[in-house]
Amino acid sequence: MLVLFIIGLLLHGITLVLPALVRDSRRLNVAANLLNAVALLCGLTFSLSALLDYHRADYRIELPSVPSVLIGFDGLSLFFLFTFQLLSLAASLYAIGYLRPYIERGLSIRAHISFFTLLILAMQLVAVVHHALVFLIVWELMAIGGYFSIVLEKDKEEVRRGGFWYFVATHAGVLLLYVCFLTLHEITGSWNFEDFARHAVYDPKALAVVLLTGLAGFGIKAGFMPFHAWLPNAHSAAPTHVSALLSAINIKAGIYGMARLMMILPALNAAYGWGLLAVSLVSAVLGVWYALAQHDIKRLLAYHSVENIGIIGVGLSIAWLGRCYAMPELVLLGFAGALLHTLNHAIFKGLLFFGAGNVYLQAHTGDIEKMGGFARVIPLTAITFLIGAISICGLPPFNGFVSEFIIYKSFFFAGTQLHDSGHSVVRDYAPLVMLFSAVGLAFMGGLAVACFTKLYGIVFLGANRSGDAPVPQSENGWSSASLVGLAGLCAVLGIFPQTGLRLVAPALGELADGAQAPADWSAPLGQLQIVFALFLALVVAVYAVKFWLQCRIGVRVRETWGCGYEAVTPRMQYTASGFAEELVKLGRPMLNLAVHWKPLRDIMPAASEFRSHCHDRMENGWLAFNNAMGRMLGAFRWIQSGNIRHYVVYLFGAILFYLLCALIWK
Amino acid sequence: MEITSSDPLSWLACAIFLAGAPLYTGIVNKLKARMSGRFGASVFQPYYELWRLAQKETVYSTSAGFISRIAPVIVWCTVAFTVLLLPLGRPAALSFSCDFILFAYLLALGRFFQILAALDSAASLEGMGASREARFAVFAEPIFFFTIGSLALITQRYSFEKILDGITWSNPLFVVFISIGLLSLFFLMMAECSRMPVDDPNTHLELTMIHEVMILDASGIDLMLYQYAASLKLLLYATLAALLLNPFGVLGTTGLLVFGATLLGMAAGLALVETLMARFRLVLVPQFLLFATAIGVLNILIFTFSHKS
Repeated sequence: MLVLFIIGLLLHGITLVLPALVRDSRRLNVAANLLNAVALLCGLTFSLSALLDYHRADYRIELPSVPSVLIGFDGLSLFFLFTFQLLSLAASLYAIGYLRPYIERGLSIRAHISFFTLLILAMQLVAVVHHALVFLIVWELMAIGGYFSIVLEKDKEEVRRGGFWYFVATHAGVLLLYVCFLTLHEITGSWNFEDFARHAVYDPKALAVVLLTGLAGFGIKAGFMPFHAWLPNAHSAAPTHVSALLSAINIKAGIYGMARLMMILPALNAAYGWGLLAVSLVSAVLGVWYALAQHDIKRLLAYHSVENIGIIGVGLSIAWLGRCYAMPELVLLGFAGALLHTLNHAIFKGLLFFGAGNVYLQAHTGDIEKMGGFARVIPLTAITFLIGAISICGLPPFNGFVSEFIIYKSFFFAGTQLHDSGHSVVRDYAPLVMLFSAVGLAFMGGLAVACFTKLYGIVFLGANRSGDAPVPQSENGWSSASLVGLAGLCAVLGIFPQTGLRLVAPALGELADGAQAPADWSAPLGQLQIVFALFLALVVAVYAVKFWLQCRIGVRVRETWGCGYEAVTPRMQYTASGFAEELVKLGRPMLNLAVHWKPLRDIMPAASEFRSHCHDRMENGWLAFNNAMGRMLGAFRWIQSGNIRHYVVYLFGAILFYLLCALIWK
Repeated sequence: MEITSSDPLSWLACAIFLAGAPLYTGIVNKLKARMSGRFGASVFQPYYELWRLAQKETVYSTSAGFISRIAPVIVWCTVAFTVLLLPLGRPAALSFSCDFILFAYLLALGRFFQILAALDSAASLEGMGASREARFAVFAEPIFFFTIGSLALITQRYSFEKILDGITWSNPLFVVFISIGLLSLFFLMMAECSRMPVDDPNTHLELTMIHEVMILDASGIDLMLYQYAASLKLLLYATLAALLLNPFGVLGTTGLLVFGATLLGMAAGLALVETLMARFRLVLVPQFLLFATAIGVLNILIFTFSHKS
């Protein structure tokens, strides 16, 4: 089976150089993306069969070098590999249709194809490389592939800006990762993850350095608050198939890193768990709140990624707490919730981004205030987007519900189990903290419902706000295939929760701390399909009765009643900003809502307009930090004069300095 | 562990619940009429209304798509399905660990479709109602989680049925906790069922309504399903409260009597509030709901710290 994975990598390699071989852009687009899709199908066959029939020692490759480089396929790696491949496959198919208008406009996609392939390839390698140095190299390759894929429309200012945000964020993260892995190497004397895990004795101080830099470094990639500012900028700048990849799986590389660290390092200090829990909850609630204030469809979805990363972080922190307090059930619940939500979020976020891409092609803008009534224009997109929206709100019977259910369950179990633990402060306060966390998650759920009813209602329902009835032009076979496929997965993973559990089972099986958990830790997920089946049967039955009655009595279609007003126009519908305004106002001072409008005066008022947008305080904070750093370091700019003679003097000075040091200290 | 009950009694209880829900709405309306000095319609009036609507032709807006057609069904089904999770005749028809999460999320699914259906009609007034519903739901959902979640943590059990079994009535602390918790639940009921201080079920001034304005464009069987779902929801919350405040269980005669009395008491309470109060200004509603949450917070704090010492 392993050979399939290698064939997949080789096929990606061919795609990398394909732009040099195929001259015609149109043909290149189809050929390269199909080749990628075939490669990913090979890879998926491997990872899925390995996950379903998992034996730990089956797959590992040791590359012959000194020291040996380990490519490992353990449960966690396989799970993330599967997730990455699944979404890359959907994105490759989607890209065929999505890039077509770009090619027709005469944009060169040659370099884009190569870098997009590099992104896909590097992400797969990130999941399986178990050698810290090589891991960092492929991590950087992934960053490069990501950056150049984002800046496809590089003549646009905001695209360059978004790409730059991505580049800076990912490099800031990797700096911290260097510290993390070099410290690990110092401690254990090895580069391999397995040796990190095997090393039993860790100095608490060194462990603190490793954990803090590691979690922060991977956290920047994942987009935890306050490191999230790059997400909305980069995701809205990228072409849709790339933003879908970034949002659905690229940020999950950060989650993979965090999960890996939390699995291999000894859980000695619960403070990291509590801290991560707090950061995650803040990310979850504020992420969706910021999302609610956005009017750009892609920015809105990007902020929702912050929310979902928060939910995943909650799961990871519960797992860490479970390890610290030796509660096997919590370890399993937390990790299962986090990993399952990783997969689920990848699926529905990919689906939503693809839907948003179709909407974008249709409306030629991302501004949802100009949309409306798209359900009649692009019906397939509307139905699949609805499934994605229900899933992301965590509503049954789709997949988002399953993972959020596990997270909720882990809260309540943590509340009672930590109450029974020996530690006195934990005993008294843990139930309260867990209760408040669950309530926070419920609050977030309410905001998510508000946010997605707003998005869906404004974009797909009602009448078109720009007036003219649009002609369907964005749906095509390729994009429909990936939309329907992902929507189907949302339904399958939701209605049959044990499917998802089976995929995470190998990763959970490797957790030594989870081994003593009772067998029914995942109850009642194994049986929820009965409940969902009953519910769906009820819906179908009631609909059938309604349909029968309506056939008998009759249905009429008439204009919406305008309360007696005759000159109703589509512009009189509720707007997205109107829908969300009150909730956004309640979010002050964290949400800084800027409103521009000229009030209407006199009896015959002149034309006026109203605009509102929400500033992200944390983003502004980073920009201010950046400016301050720039000013401070600008003071040293004179050193770099550009005059070569000065540089010779510097070299000479440096040599003199070292010589002096050598003389003094011998 | 089986999650579906094999006891026919539990399914029968759900059927009785579904059949009896409009009656409860009728009782509330009757009580309200009597309290405000009117004679009022018969308690069976809601049944006539539903029957009348079911025979009517349905009119859809030209801008309405598939959402308007499936939303009434989903709204009704979500509320009707949550009835199965209530431990009416123990064992509950469906009972499993953390079933109250499904309870809350099913209701949220119904709300999701209700809001979408309102936006589907392309009318500005309905968008207004949709926006309000979404906004108030954000504050209503935490109240439910606080009340049931704190009960779950206190009793260390995770399903409605087991939570009810786990309440030790001999402990005065539990009695205090449940009574105060019920107050939040009562507030929640007023908000979720669009009753008076939050929403006005009688007005037909579109600017001031929430629930009524969202279903302004619904007609015929669709409207019937919405109205039926609304009365189911009212009885649902009342029943939840009555189940919690019942030390005897619902199987014995005493238990049934207490259960019925609590239901009637809740109806009278609602009618009294509606008679005495006017609707809040809309900006005050979140404060009202946050107040209910605050009661819940205080309640759990009192419990935790007096339980410890």
